[in-house]
Amino acid sequence: MNRFLTRLVSVREIPVLLALFIVLVVTGIANPQFVSASGAQDIFLGVAVIATLSVGMTFVITMRHIDLSVGSTAGFTAYMIGKMSAHHHGLVTSLLVALGIGLIVGAANGFLVAYLRLPSLVVTLASLWIVRGVFDQIAGGDTVTDNQVPVALGYLGRHSFANIPYIFIIAFVLILVASFFMRSVRPARDLYAMGSNPPASELAGIPVARRTFFAFLASGAVSGLGGAILLARFHSADSNSGLGLELNVIAACVVGGVAIAGGVGTPYGALIGALLLQSITQALGALGVSQFWQLAVNGTLLISAISLDRYLTLRVKPTRILRVKS
Amino acid sequence: MTDAVLRVSGATKNFGGVRALHNASLTLYAGEIHALLGENGAGKSTLLKTLAGVHRLDAGEIILDGKKFHEGSTRLAREQGVAVIYQEPNLFPDLTLAENVFAGRQKVNGKIVDWVGMQTEAQTLFDQLGVPLNPRSRARGLSIADQQIVEIAKALSLNAKVIVMDEPTAALSSKEVERLFNVARALAKRGAAVVFVSHRLDEVFELTDRLTVMRDGATVGTGITLDTTEADVIHLMVGREVSELFPKGFHPIGDVVLSVKNLAHDGLFENISFDVRAGEIVALAGLVGSGRSEIARAIFGVEKYSHGTITMLGKELAAGSPSKAMAVGIALVPEDRRLQGLFMAASIAKNSSVTILNRIKKGFLVRSKDEAEIAKTWGETLELKYADINDPVERLSGGNQQKVVLAKWLASQPALLIVDEPTRGIDVGTKAQVHKLLSDEAGKGLAVLMISSELPEVLGMADRILVMREGLMVKEFSRAEATSANVIAAATGAVTV
Repeated sequence: MNRFLTRLVSVREIPVLLALFIVLVVTGIANPQFVSASGAQDIFLGVAVIATLSVGMTFVITMRHIDLSVGSTAGFTAYMIGKMSAHHHGLVTSLLVALGIGLIVGAANGFLVAYLRLPSLVVTLASLWIVRGVFDQIAGGDTVTDNQVPVALGYLGRHSFANIPYIFIIAFVLILVASFFMRSVRPARDLYAMGSNPPASELAGIPVARRTFFAFLASGAVSGLGGAILLARFHSADSNSGLGLELNVIAACVVGGVAIAGGVGTPYGALIGALLLQSITQALGALGVSQFWQLAVNGTLLISAISLDRYLTLRVKPTRILRVKS
Repeated sequence: MTDAVLRVSGATKNFGGVRALHNASLTLYAGEIHALLGENGAGKSTLLKTLAGVHRLDAGEIILDGKKFHEGSTRLAREQGVAVIYQEPNLFPDLTLAENVFAGRQKVNGKIVDWVGMQTEAQTLFDQLGVPLNPRSRARGLSIADQQIVEIAKALSLNAKVIVMDEPTAALSSKEVERLFNVARALAKRGAAVVFVSHRLDEVFELTDRLTVMRDGATVGTGITLDTTEADVIHLMVGREVSELFPKGFHPIGDVVLSVKNLAHDGLFENISFDVRAGEIVALAGLVGSGRSEIARAIFGVEKYSHGTITMLGKELAAGSPSKAMAVGIALVPEDRRLQGLFMAASIAKNSSVTILNRIKKGFLVRSKDEAEIAKTWGETLELKYADINDPVERLSGGNQQKVVLAKWLASQPALLIVDEPTRGIDVGTKAQVHKLLSDEAGKGLAVLMISSELPEVLGMADRILVMREGLMVKEFSRAEATSANVIAAATGAVTV
C-alpha cells in the first residue's frame, strides 16, 4: 500500500465514510427507492438516539473506560419525562428531572471508577441493572402513550427541516459541539492522553481522577437528556425502553474509529459509525434480507472495524533492518 | 562555579522496614553534568523519584534555587524546575509529538487549544536539539532514542533547572548515545544541571564533570570526574574490589549443539550461518537493531523465518514453535525481563518453576510446595535476595529479577542457553555474579549464545564473537583476535578506527 493510502486509512473516519458511501450506492442501484428522501429520513431517525448517546460514550471510551449504563438511564428518563408531562409538569421541569437522574447515575459511576478505582465495566454493568431495576419498580407494566408525550417532543420527533428530522439535527449539533470540544479544549485533550497511556498521564500532572469523574458525569447527563430524544423518536416509553441500547452505542463508536483501547476517536466518527450501521440495517431490509442476517452483518462489520484498528497499530512498527539488499 | 542549584542534605526515607535512603546528600551546580552512581538498591532511584515528586522524604532537606523544594507532587516538581527523563520514556503513542511535549499543559488561546503554537514551539525545540522530528506525527513507533529527545524537548520548554536522565543509554545504539551526549552538553551549556545515571562507567567518564556515588542509601563519595578512576568508583560502589568483572574461565569445548545454516527473514536478516558448541560462549555483537534479537527469537521459535535451517543436537528444529524449541533443550532469556521474561505479579516460586511444571507435577496437579522447593534451591545457587519465596517478583530489584529469569531457564536443564542483554540495567555486583554463573554453566557443558551491547562483557565472556551489521553477519573474531576497536569497526562499518 502506498504512503498516501496508508495515511488516508489511518485517519480512522475515512474508511468508515467510504464504506457508508459504498453501501448507499450499491443499495441505491439495487433498489432506487432506498436513496429517496424518505429513505434518508428513516436512516436519520434511526441514528438520532444512538448518535446522541455516543457523545458521552466517546468521552468514556477515549479514556479507556466503558459506560454500560446509558441505555437504562435514557430509557428511565424517557419514561419519567412522559409521566411528568402526563401529570401536567412543564417540559422544562421534566427535562431538569431527566438531567438530574442522568447526573446522579453519572456521578455514582464516576465516583466509583475515578476515586475508588473500581473497573468501569463492572461498575456500569451494576448501574445498568440498578437503574433498570428502579425503573421497573416505578413503571411496572405502565406505558407512556403517544398522547402523554410532551407536545414539543412529539413535534420534534415527527417533523423535519428540509427532510432532515429535527431530532437528528439536535443530535448532529451536539456531535459538532462535542467534536470541537474534544479537539480544542484542554480537559478533553487530557482524555486522549489518559486513554493512550494511563500511568504517564499521572506523571504528566493530569488530574486523572477529576477528569475521569467528569467524563462519566457528562456521559450520565447526555444519557439523561437522551431520554427526551428517545421519547420523541418512539412517541412512547415503557419499562423496556432503551433495553440493550448501550451495545448499539458502543458498536457505533467502535465502527466509527473510537478505539476500545482508548486514546483515539472523535464524536463525529461515532456518528459516521452509527450512520453506517443503520444504513446497512436498512439496506438489508430494502433488499429483502431477514432480520437475523442484519445482526450478523453488523457483527461482521464490528470485527472488520477492530481488525483494521489492529492492523493500523501493528503496521507502524519499524521492522526493516536490512539495508544492504532487499 | 556559582552557587548550587540543588542541595539535598540528610535525606532519609524508609519503606516499611526497608531503609531506602539514609542521610544521603547531593549537590548540583548550574551548567554541570553530574553522574549519580551506585548499585541497584543503593538509593539512587528513591532519591531521583523524590526529586521527580513521586516520594516524600521522612527527614532531610532539599533546597532548589535557594528555596525549599516542595515534595510529593509530580506537577509541582515540574513547575519548580525538575525534569526527569526515564530510561524508557512514557510517551502518549496516540498523540502527536507536539502534544506530547505539552502533555497536561497544552498551550491555549483563551480556552481553545493552540495547535499551531504548540507545533511551532515543538519544532523550534527539536531544531535546537538538532534532531529531525516532525511535531505533527504521532509518537507511536518512535525509537527509544527519539522518545527521549521528545522528553528532553519537554524539559527544555519547561525551562528545567535540573534535568535528570535515569539510565538513558541502556537501550541506545552507540550513534544514538553520541547524539544524546551532544544534547546533554548543550543543555548544560544553557545553564541546566544535568544528572546522568548510568551503569556504563566509560560513558560516565566520557560525559560527566562531577560524580556522586551512593551505597546502601547513603552518599559515600563525591568529586570531580577527572580526578577519579574507574577503580575508585567501583570500589566506592561495592565497598570491595571487583577484581574480575568478566571471568569466563577456559573450559574444553565440546560437540556442536546448535547449528544455524543460511537463516534469513525478509527485511530483518539474511544468510546467517554459525555453530555453537557445548561449553562455548558465542557472542552476537553489533548495534541495537542490527538483527541480533530477531535471530535469537527465530531460533527459539517466537518469530518465523523464511529461509534456512536450524539444527539442534543433530536434528532439524521445526520453525515457529517455542514449545518444540524447549523440548530439544533451548532456553531464551529475553532482553526485556519485565515484559517478556517474568510474570511480574506471580511469586518467585511460580516464576522459577514455570518451565518445568511437566516434570514436577504429580498426576494432574502441581504442588506449591514443589514449586517453592525448586525456587529455593536455585535461589541459593544464584544468591537471590528475597523476603519470602511467595512474594511477587515485581517486589525484587532489577538484578534479582534477572536472577529469577535465569533460574527458571537453568531449572529446565537446557543444552543451549540464549541470553539477550543478560546484564542490562543491573548493578556491578550482580553483573559479576551473572557472568560467573554463565561461565560455570558453560564449564558444565552448556552452550551459550549471548547477545550483548556491552563491549567489555562481549570481550570478557565470549570464546567467539560474531558481529552483526544491518541484518548481516559481517565478521567473526576468536577471543584472541577481538579488540574493542576491531569489533566496533565491524559493527559500525567504519573503515578505520
